[in-house]
Amino acid sequence: MLFPTLTFGLFFLAVYALVWTVGARNNEWRKILLLVASWVFYGAWDWRFVALLIASAFINWSLGQLIAHAKARSEEGEPAGQAKALVTLGVVANLTILGFFKYFDFFLSEIAPLVTNLGFARDLPLLQIVLPVGVSFFTFQGMSYMIDVYRGRTRPASLLDITLLMSFFPHLVAGPIVRASHLVPQFQRSPKMDRGMAAMALLLIIWGLFKKAVIASELSTQFVDPVFFDPSAYGSADLVFAAYGYAVQIYCDFSAYSDMAIGLAALLGYRFPRNFDQPYRAASLQDFWRRWHMSLSGWLRDYLYIGLGGNRGGLFFICRNLVITMVLGGIWHGAKWTFLIWGGLHGLILTAERVWRELKPSWMPAMPRPIAVLLTFHIVVLGWIFFRAETFDGAIAFIKGITAWHGAATIVTPLGVALVLLGLSMHFGPPRLMQGLAMRLRFVPAPLLGLMTGSAILIIDAMRFEGVAPFIYYQF
Amino acid sequence: MVSGHDEFESPVDLPRDEPRRKPLGWTTLTIFVTSLFLLVSNAFAIKGWIDEQPTSPLQASLAYWAGEWEDATASLGLATPRAELHRLWKEAEAARFEQAPPSNQR
Repeated sequence: MLFPTLTFGLFFLAVYALVWTVGARNNEWRKILLLVASWVFYGAWDWRFVALLIASAFINWSLGQLIAHAKARSEEGEPAGQAKALVTLGVVANLTILGFFKYFDFFLSEIAPLVTNLGFARDLPLLQIVLPVGVSFFTFQGMSYMIDVYRGRTRPASLLDITLLMSFFPHLVAGPIVRASHLVPQFQRSPKMDRGMAAMALLLIIWGLFKKAVIASELSTQFVDPVFFDPSAYGSADLVFAAYGYAVQIYCDFSAYSDMAIGLAALLGYRFPRNFDQPYRAASLQDFWRRWHMSLSGWLRDYLYIGLGGNRGGLFFICRNLVITMVLGGIWHGAKWTFLIWGGLHGLILTAERVWRELKPSWMPAMPRPIAVLLTFHIVVLGWIFFRAETFDGAIAFIKGITAWHGAATIVTPLGVALVLLGLSMHFGPPRLMQGLAMRLRFVPAPLLGLMTGSAILIIDAMRFEGVAPFIYYQF
Repeated sequence: MVSGHDEFESPVDLPRDEPRRKPLGWTTLTIFVTSLFLLVSNAFAIKGWIDEQPTSPLQASLAYWAGEWEDATASLGLATPRAELHRLWKEAEAARFEQAPPSNQR
C-alpha cells in the first residue's frame, strides 16, 4: 500500500475517522486501533511478515523489561553485568533477524566460489529469502529502545506501546527512525491537534506528493533508469545529467516519504522528528549528514559511533570510528558491494575533513562557502553513482563514460532540466518557508482550505507519471 | 535519572498563537471538502482505480457506477481542468531542445 495511491487515501480516511471518534473515548482503544490499522497496512505487502513484526516487538519488549529489572537489582547491590549480558543478547537477536533476511543469501553467494575452490561444496543452499519491507527500520527502532532502557535514557514501556512504536504505519516501512523516547511518551497521553499542526501536516503531504509523484517519478522513468541500465549507450552529457537527476530523484523520493509520514502522523496527533534539512546546501560532508536522513545519522552516531568510542582516544581512533560507522551505515542499506563502497567513500571523506580540521594551518583561510557547497555536492553525487548502480563494474563504467567526455546530450529535455533545477533550488530557499506558509494557512476557513488542498492534489494528479513506482527506501 | 522523553524538533511544531476553536473540526472539514472536490473533479482517477481492482461482482458494479459518474461530471465540464492540465503536461514532456532528435529516433 503506497502513500500516493487512492487505496492508501481511503485507508487513511477510515483510520482518521476511527481514531478521532471511537479512539477519542479511550487512549488504549485508540492505540489498539492504530496497531490493527498498522498491521493491515503492513499485511497488504505480505501477511506473513506481520508475525515477524509482532515477534520482533515482543523480543525487544521482553528484553527491555528484563534489562530494567536487572538494573534495579544491581542498584540494590546484586552483581552487575546481567543487564549488559541481556542488552548484548538483544542486539545479537535483532542483528540476527536483520542478517538473516537481508544478508544471508548475499553472504552465501559471495563465499560460494571460495568454498567451491577449497573443494568443500558445490552448491550452497541459497534460500531466495524475501526481504520484509522496512525490516532495517523496525529492527533499528527495537534495538534503540532496548539500548536506551539499558542506558537509562528511557523507561521500560508496555507491550502495547512498544508494538505500536515499531508497527506505527506512517513510519513503518521507510522511517523516519522514531525512537521510543520520542514516541512512547506521546502514546501514553491522548494526542492533541492544533490548527498549525494540521495545516503543516496537509502542506507536508501535498509537498511530498508533488516531490514523489511528479519530480522523482518523472526523472526516474524518463532519464535516470534508462541511463543507469546501460551507461555505455549514452554520451558523457547524458551521463552527467542522469547523475544530477539521480541526486534530485533520491532526495525528492526519500524526503517525500518522510514529509508524508510526518504529515500523516500529525493528522493523527503525533509528532515525528525532522528527517531532512536541505541537504544539498551542506558545506561539508559532516554538514551533509546533519541534514540528510537525520534520524539514521543520529542513530548511527548515538548507538554505533559513540559505542565504538566516539571522539575519545585521539585522531586515529576518531578516524577509524568514522570509517567503521559509515561502512556499516552503507551496508545497512543492503547487501551489495556498491553500498559498502558508498559508505566507505563517505567515511574516507569525513575522515579527510576531520584530519584537515585538526591539521590545517591557522593562517590558511577557510574555503569560500559557495565553493565548499559545490564541492560537497559533487562528492555526494559521486557517491550516489555507486549507490544507484547495480554493480561495482556498472558504477565504474558510468564514471569512465563521464570522464571520456564524448557524445552529445540526447535525452536531456527542457522539462528534465527544469525538474533538476527545481529539485536543487529547494535546497537554497528560506529554510523554514513551509512553516511560515502553514502559519498563514491556519487562519484560512476550512472550506476554502479544502478547495485549495483539493486543487493542489488535482494539479499533481494531472502531472504525475502513470502508475506509482515504490519509494526507493522501501527496498532497505 | 530517567527522563523518558527526548526533546526533538518536528516540522509540525509551530508557535501557538492561533485560533483555538475546534481544531479537529476545522481539520476534518478541510479533509471532507478536499475529498468532495476530488470526487467531482477527478472522476477519471476514481474510475481508473476501480478498474485496477480484482474482478468481482462488486467491482463490476462499482466500475459501472464510476463510469456513469465520470460521464456525468464530464458532461458538466468538471473534468476539463484536469484533462487540460494533463494535456499541457504531456506537451511539456514531449518538448525537446532544438538540436535534439525526437525520442523515437534515438
